[in-house]
Amino acid sequence: MVEILFFIAAIGAIAGAVGVVVLENPFYSVLSLVAHLLSLALLFLLLEAQFVAAVQVVVYAGAVMVLYVFVVSYVGGQNLPIRAVNSPSLRIAAPLFAFCLFVELMIATLGTGLSAISSEGPKLAANYGEPEQIGELLLTKFLLPFEVASFLLLIAAVGAVMLARRRRGLDEPEVPAPLGLLRPAGTGTMAESAGGGFFRKSTASASDDSTSTGRDLG
Amino acid sequence: MIAAAATSIKAPYIDWAAFSPIVALICGAVIVLLIGLLPGRRVREQIVPGATVLTLLATLGLTIWQWGENTSIISGALAVDRLSLVLNVVFVATGLVTVVMSLRERATVQAGQGEYYTLLLASLAGMAVLVAAQNLVTLFVGIELLSIPLYVLCASELQREKSLEAGLKYLVIGSVGSATLLFGLSFIYGATGSTDFSGIAAALSSKGETIASNPLMLTGLGMAVVGLGFKAAIAPFHQWTPDVYEGAPSPITSFMSVATKAAAFGIFLRFMDVAVIDEALTWQPLLAALAAITIVVGNVGALAQTSVKRILAWSSVAQGGYLLVGIVVSSAAGLEATLYYLVVYVVMNLAAFSVVVARERETTHGDSLSAFAGLGSKRPILAVPMTIAMLSLAGIPATAGFIGKLNLIGASVDGDYAWLGVLIAIGSAISLAYYLRIVAVMWMPDRRGDSPETDRPHGQPEIIGLAIICSAATIFFGIIPSPIYDLVRGAGESIGLL
Repeated sequence: MVEILFFIAAIGAIAGAVGVVVLENPFYSVLSLVAHLLSLALLFLLLEAQFVAAVQVVVYAGAVMVLYVFVVSYVGGQNLPIRAVNSPSLRIAAPLFAFCLFVELMIATLGTGLSAISSEGPKLAANYGEPEQIGELLLTKFLLPFEVASFLLLIAAVGAVMLARRRRGLDEPEVPAPLGLLRPAGTGTMAESAGGGFFRKSTASASDDSTSTGRDLG
Repeated sequence: MIAAAATSIKAPYIDWAAFSPIVALICGAVIVLLIGLLPGRRVREQIVPGATVLTLLATLGLTIWQWGENTSIISGALAVDRLSLVLNVVFVATGLVTVVMSLRERATVQAGQGEYYTLLLASLAGMAVLVAAQNLVTLFVGIELLSIPLYVLCASELQREKSLEAGLKYLVIGSVGSATLLFGLSFIYGATGSTDFSGIAAALSSKGETIASNPLMLTGLGMAVVGLGFKAAIAPFHQWTPDVYEGAPSPITSFMSVATKAAAFGIFLRFMDVAVIDEALTWQPLLAALAAITIVVGNVGALAQTSVKRILAWSSVAQGGYLLVGIVVSSAAGLEATLYYLVVYVVMNLAAFSVVVARERETTHGDSLSAFAGLGSKRPILAVPMTIAMLSLAGIPATAGFIGKLNLIGASVDGDYAWLGVLIAIGSAISLAYYLRIVAVMWMPDRRGDSPETDRPHGQPEIIGLAIICSAATIFFGIIPSPIYDLVRGAGESIGLL
């Protein structure tokens, strides 16, 4: 039973992750991510981490993904399918590096994991992975990271509000100088390293964005 | 059941005195945020920066109070020792300079003063947590608390497109770095079964196996180095640096180039020299290769730039390569040389950035090289500090940068990495080409006559004061280096290095 559930969850997780990248419509990508996260929750459950599995379903598959769906619906991503970067060098290099990373991770996990495959696994206490144990750890061993994380959430909220709100009484946005927009070639921008065609496109769309940003703020 | 559980949990002992610098920063951030909500122009423009300065001074005082302390606090989450205390001083000094630079900055008005200074203090708190972290969980939370306020601060000039671009690029690349780091840390935990640095070191030595024979640990270490490399802008993970440094508001750029670098190298030092020090022979060649690449890429990349902020960005990449040399040798001398160079780098880089901030506000040329044309004859009060900073960054004798480089080269020779010392010297020689270009633009007579109009020559005495103080300190520590030696001495011993 455990084996069957594991393979269902593992295939679901991989298929969901592939779907996020492959599907062109952002809305389907988000739904695919939900499937991926639910499969992960099942994997956590098989690892005796009941609390983490519950949190995964409630927070990620529930709250966060609903937020994603809202954002995609509001922004209306359907009209702008995600395009591959138009650069031949990147088209070869990116899969190559991804493959290298894949091989490296396989060596790491298989090289150490296979030795445990015929064993019984770790001896766990009866209450392993229960909220009580996690709560105790958060209040003793990991007290400081726990408290710092709560401060981090406050700061993230402050930052988000700062970026999102519209302020009145500010000067008119400055008109970007044409020289400021076009950087001279050969200065090592990120766009250059990702392929020249991308650079021109991003500059053109960036100037469109500036006018719309200005309107919102004004 | 619940009552039984409640009595069985024993809360960890908290050494509030040793913890106090971080508490001061966090409380200060919250107080500044609340003060920023009060109405009135005077509150925003004077009381908020004033409260920020008070917070930083309190942190500095508490840090000095704890000087000489060497303990592990809150269940081994943080280490209060010479390394973290020296870097606390660096952070507070950088924070003070950044507050002064930001006083007339447009970004503070557009972002709201309360929020701007709160994020600055929160980022500093993250740095203080990070460099003291001796636990993988604390490390990651610290690095996020450092980064997330910075993403927002980069985009804080909300009406300037390049600032928003910088914030977005930093967010995306920084998140990739954080994810890689977290992945690596989870592998390390999987391989050793411990999140404490000391526990990792004990697991590695007790199992009798090397990192090289344990692929999980090897991969984890590799990914953790890559993740930290993103934060420290080490080549080939540096590509965000020029774009973000150029686009962010200049006070934030100077803050990032100095404080973030110091924090990233601080945790780099502690992690490498505490958790995996027994395996130094395995990771030394890897870091040596990264240091060599960084020195070459940073110095060559700076040659073709026309924007001074971009030149300083590439130069900061190159300086990161020099700093990495002190980590490669993994000795107390190497650690102290890196720490020494960090302190010196803060002083000289802040001098350079104060002049850039001043010129950006005086002319319409922004931070391009033409904004500095003919500065020597028109505004020697700015040209002289800039010249000193450039010469010190290049490592000319009688400046602090020279002594710093000398220490690093000495540590590399002692640690059997003499070729890296040679590379530092070669890199400094290449760097003269772009540092002296700025000096030449300032002091050569302006033949083409396209030097910019000086709009407001006397409007910002505080920035000119900063430039003079920082450049004077650069010369002072170049001639009398002993105060910094006294500051960093014992940092290596405090974390158990020979």
